[in-house]
Amino acid sequence: MTMSLTLTGTVREPSGVLQRLAQALGDVRTTTLRYVLRARSQPDVIIGSVLMPVIFVVLFGYVFGSAIHLPGGHYRTYLMSGLFAQTTLFSSSSVAVAVATDMSEGVIDRFRTLPIARSAVLLGRTISTIIVGLPSLAVMITCALIVGWRPEAGVPSAVAGFALLSLFGFAMSWVGALVGMHARSPQAADALSMLPAFVLGFVSNVFVPTAGLPAWLRVVAEWNPLSAVVGAARQMFGIPQGGSAQVWTLEHPVVTTLAMGLVLLVVLIPVTVRRYTRRD
Amino acid sequence: MPEEAIHAEGLVKSFKRTRALRGIDLTVRTGTVLALLGRNGAGKSTAVRILTTLTRPDAGSAIVAGFDVIRSAERVRARIGVTGQGPTVDELLTARQNLVVIGRMFHLSPQQARLRAGQLLEEFGLADAAGRLARTYSGGMRRRLDLAASMIAAPPVMFLDEPTTGLDPVSRAQIWQAIREMVTQSGTSVLLTSQYLEEAEQLADDVTVINDGLVAASGTPRQLRESVGQANVRVVLRDADSSAASRLGALLGPTARIDGRVVTLAAPDGLGSLADVVARLHPMAAEVDDVALQRPSLEEAFTILTAAGPSEDGAQPELAIAGAR
Repeated sequence: MTMSLTLTGTVREPSGVLQRLAQALGDVRTTTLRYVLRARSQPDVIIGSVLMPVIFVVLFGYVFGSAIHLPGGHYRTYLMSGLFAQTTLFSSSSVAVAVATDMSEGVIDRFRTLPIARSAVLLGRTISTIIVGLPSLAVMITCALIVGWRPEAGVPSAVAGFALLSLFGFAMSWVGALVGMHARSPQAADALSMLPAFVLGFVSNVFVPTAGLPAWLRVVAEWNPLSAVVGAARQMFGIPQGGSAQVWTLEHPVVTTLAMGLVLLVVLIPVTVRRYTRRD
Repeated sequence: MPEEAIHAEGLVKSFKRTRALRGIDLTVRTGTVLALLGRNGAGKSTAVRILTTLTRPDAGSAIVAGFDVIRSAERVRARIGVTGQGPTVDELLTARQNLVVIGRMFHLSPQQARLRAGQLLEEFGLADAAGRLARTYSGGMRRRLDLAASMIAAPPVMFLDEPTTGLDPVSRAQIWQAIREMVTQSGTSVLLTSQYLEEAEQLADDVTVINDGLVAASGTPRQLRESVGQANVRVVLRDADSSAASRLGALLGPTARIDGRVVTLAAPDGLGSLADVVARLHPMAAEVDDVALQRPSLEEAFTILTAAGPSEDGAQPELAIAGAR
């Protein structure tokens, strides 16, 4: 072990803000790589997450969709934009369960004894969620194209739309990370995160226009933040909204989504990282 | 490198209902192994958590690898390796990926990390399985991989939290060998916690026994053993013949205790006393079945030291250990 001797004296200590930042970015790259490698050795999980959107398209586009008539539009293209937005919610749930699992198994403790940037583990986790989600996004776009969805407002606008959805999804994965840090078990994290995802996902304009809902439910559905995200996606994809909006957030869905995503990140990243670094 | 790899003074830590640590001092001399022994719940893990920057003590201070664990936690982290009972290796990564990723977290360059990973896989006998997911490893292999991972950046101070708990004897011996090599070849300082007294006997230069949040005793394993009793020479006769026993008693002098075919005699000089007894046994050699020097075991010392809780006023039931540093 001659190498050990030469290594012992070489603890790398960053001096100055720039070096620290560079080292922190390197740490994030390493933790992200770790989570991507992990995902790669679980092809069954990846296949599951790829199949899910296909099942959704068939189930809602053809089974329920066969009984839904959308005035002035094509239901399946309407639905696809909603489904794209809805998947952002599920990233929050998967991160919640994963972080809670790490917490309960002591993996987080192990990372806490390593000389890595305090934000690196959670950033690696959330960034890798987007990377690992790319195959399912590709499959979903393919499905969408098959059922007749087109980027009606042009490809650049559609790409910007997907970027906006990714930003919101990234913010939601931090919601998941916070839930995961506080949940008592992975099962609790699953329940805690799936329930809101379900309510937000269905009491919204994802599947049907809000105009047909009973008045009280319509208020809830229109103020539902996810409805604004769906509205933003439809606007960027050039798909009719299926009715006129009555609330400000739906009248300005792109601004609302952008603002929600940024505010969530600005608030949640420090709060969650602080919880992670707290020494009891 | 300072003379003391770890120096902790007056560590106190309370949780909601329990006082886990009530003021303990610990020292690990550079290049040596300290075994921290105690029953479950004695405060071992809390002490290790404080020293590895995971928990903040209510009072007291600790310097690890030259830096304060509270004020300079990041610097401490860059200089310690931690391995324990927990699943610190990632089951969904191959052995090589595990090592490279941890190496990168210690800010080795990609080349250095790969080089070190290769070396350690070789040293720990995992080279043939390097490309397999850690999930497929046996318990012993996983533990070796874990140890290798914590050594990737050759940290000057290592924390081994029950490194062989639950392993079979062969795997245990392999881990012990790896730890010994690490200490002798790299001069690593080690704090080891263990449930196995044999492990302390095998590896430790010093032992600190903690009981109920306080240090019950500290010293070398030998000092600890001797603190609870003397060595004896035990002579066993071939037959349970009372006349032979009394003749033997006469040969060995009035301090010999006779119990059936076993005769026991205090051995203040250890091996010297044994040699003396053997010499005196000569006339009865044909009737003697076995002669042996019996030292009190660390096991006995541990049992006695951790038997009674400390008194409620918080006074330490410290055993006076002759010649303790």
